[in-house]
Amino acid sequence: MRAMFHDWPGLALKSFYWLFVLYLFLPLSLMVAVSFKDASFISFPLGNLTIDWYAKVIQDKQFLDACLYTIMIAAATTAIATVIGVWIAMLIGSLRGATQYVAFAIACLPAVVPGMISAISLRIFITTIDLPTGTVAIILGHVVHAVPFVVVMVLTRLRSMPGNLVDAARDLGADSTVTFFRVTLPYLGPAIFGGMIFCLLLSSDDFVRTFFLGGYRPTLPMLIFARVQSGMSPEINVMATLVLVVTAVVGLYAEYLTRRSRIR
Amino acid sequence: MEPVVQFENVRKSFGSFVAVDNLNLNIERGKFVTLLGPSGCGKSTTLRMLGGFETPTEGRILLSGRDVTMVPPNRRNVNIVFQDYALFPHMTVAKNIAFGLELKGVDQKQIQRRVSELLELVQLQEFASRLPSELSGGQRQRVALMRALAPDPDVLLLDEPLSALDAKLRQTMQIELKAIQEQTGKTFMFVTHDQEEALTMSDTIVVMNNGRIEQMGDPASLYKRPGSAFVATFLGETNLLRSDVVGTDAGEAAVRWNGMTIKASAGALSPKAGDAIYVVLRPEAIQCSAGEPGVANRVKGRIRQRVFKGNHTSLKVEIGEGHLLNALVHPSEVEGLSLDDIWVGWSAEATTLIPSRNAS
Ligand SMILES: Nc1ncnc2c1ncn2[C@@H]1O[C@H](COP(=O)(O)OP(=O)(O)OP(=O)(O)O)[C@@H](O)[C@H]1O
Ligand SMILES: [Mg+2]
Repeated sequence: MRAMFHDWPGLALKSFYWLFVLYLFLPLSLMVAVSFKDASFISFPLGNLTIDWYAKVIQDKQFLDACLYTIMIAAATTAIATVIGVWIAMLIGSLRGATQYVAFAIACLPAVVPGMISAISLRIFITTIDLPTGTVAIILGHVVHAVPFVVVMVLTRLRSMPGNLVDAARDLGADSTVTFFRVTLPYLGPAIFGGMIFCLLLSSDDFVRTFFLGGYRPTLPMLIFARVQSGMSPEINVMATLVLVVTAVVGLYAEYLTRRSRIR
Repeated sequence: MEPVVQFENVRKSFGSFVAVDNLNLNIERGKFVTLLGPSGCGKSTTLRMLGGFETPTEGRILLSGRDVTMVPPNRRNVNIVFQDYALFPHMTVAKNIAFGLELKGVDQKQIQRRVSELLELVQLQEFASRLPSELSGGQRQRVALMRALAPDPDVLLLDEPLSALDAKLRQTMQIELKAIQEQTGKTFMFVTHDQEEALTMSDTIVVMNNGRIEQMGDPASLYKRPGSAFVATFLGETNLLRSDVVGTDAGEAAVRWNGMTIKASAGALSPKAGDAIYVVLRPEAIQCSAGEPGVANRVKGRIRQRVFKGNHTSLKVEIGEGHLLNALVHPSEVEGLSLDDIWVGWSAEATTLIPSRNAS
């Protein structure tokens, strides 16, 4: 007991942590709670609970279409960004000395350029090359943003790879292609998987780039934004709650899988 | 018979640093050959050149008579057992061993037969479907060995494969490795800096120093007749006595050391009076007694240190003023001896002479 009172730094650390958790979860919990509220405006106390809003949302054609569109773009972004990202990581991994650092810095640049700047420049770019706004342009924008994250994750794993695994494969008769697909790629597996999940989340969450590059068909963030502008309603809370649950599940599952593969 | 491996005037430099120089080495088929030398002497570089991972700066390497100097690793018939095993972490034991066979295009049935045959050789049948991370160090070692043996290479290269194991396991593996080599009749080229390992397993030891071959031969003759001070001190413990030749007579030389005259067999050398020379005297060649021994060389001394090691006793004997000889004797030999007044002696045949210009 005495020890506990004397351990001020420890106690302070713990309290700050729990305050942070509260700060993190309070708004989210409110949002979720209101999505069950039996009234069309947001107020307290909650009163009667209902799942009517959920029923309404999942019959909302616009919402479903936006979901589908978001998933489609995310999937395409992920596929393209993963291939490019792994490729660049392998390239950087094979470089030596100063060139390696320069190449790495350039590859990371898109991740740190402010979203707005990147969005505007991409918009100017697609106009210049006469590419219409819409699906292709959105995917282009998302890929540019997602690649650095794949590169960093894959490169980190690549650096931890024992150098003589590749030597061993070559020694046993594999040429460089076979070595890549049968030894290097499986070794990078967990990192690539993590990178892919990251791409999915980045793309489906992106607003700024999509806003500048999109056409008339809205992605989910665009749709929610449009709805918010015409007034808050429990329907928006429902959509947000659904997004929250799906992302959390995907994120936790990914974490579980990478953890399991790390133990091996 | 044609040697399976031939190094012809091979030289390898990294920038201005010469790692291997003027290497000429023929290796006979079916032999256990060990490259022995201190750290950084170019053993791994030699092995990696044979494996195809380094290209010689000069010279040629022939494998079964074919010039492979410029052939990439995947197209030459040698396999390496890496120091840290380099097992593929995502493949099971069986898959690891099958890897080289699959790439050779062997059909699945035959692969399975060969894999289980090899696993049986090292008693790892039950471990076929485990991942490398689920094995002990010794088991990983065996799997790495079998993976390298599976594609039936002309030569198996082993780069300090036992150094990650603890002392006890290392000894077991030394014997097992030698047994496997004899059983399979493969040519093994083994790299180590551990002289005991080299003496235990090899048919031929190649002693390297500073990128060059210092001496090669079978373990017993290298140990008995080292050609240089470096080999004498690197292979086993030794007393190296710097002396001057005073006379020669029928294959024997008389030399002066520390005020005494030593008779030593001249071996291949033909020393002349006045030459500076080293006498190699192995600690176990020295005998101790209370009375004067009946051998060619004998001198009185004092025991300065005595360490009981179980099956033998290690002594430091002082001769004259401050000259210490290391001796290994049977414990019963020194029982009841007075420490300050003993005789030490050794025969002329127990010693070898080394010209002192070879001293490093
Ligand atoms: N890629 C390289 N670049 C530059 N120098 C190298 C390279 N590889 C080896 N060397 C140098 O060549 C020398 C011989 O190296 P090598 O690895 O053959 O030594 P070794 O005899 O195997 O030593 P150890 O017992 O420590 O493994 C060393 O001095 C090393 O620093
Ligand atoms: Mg080495």
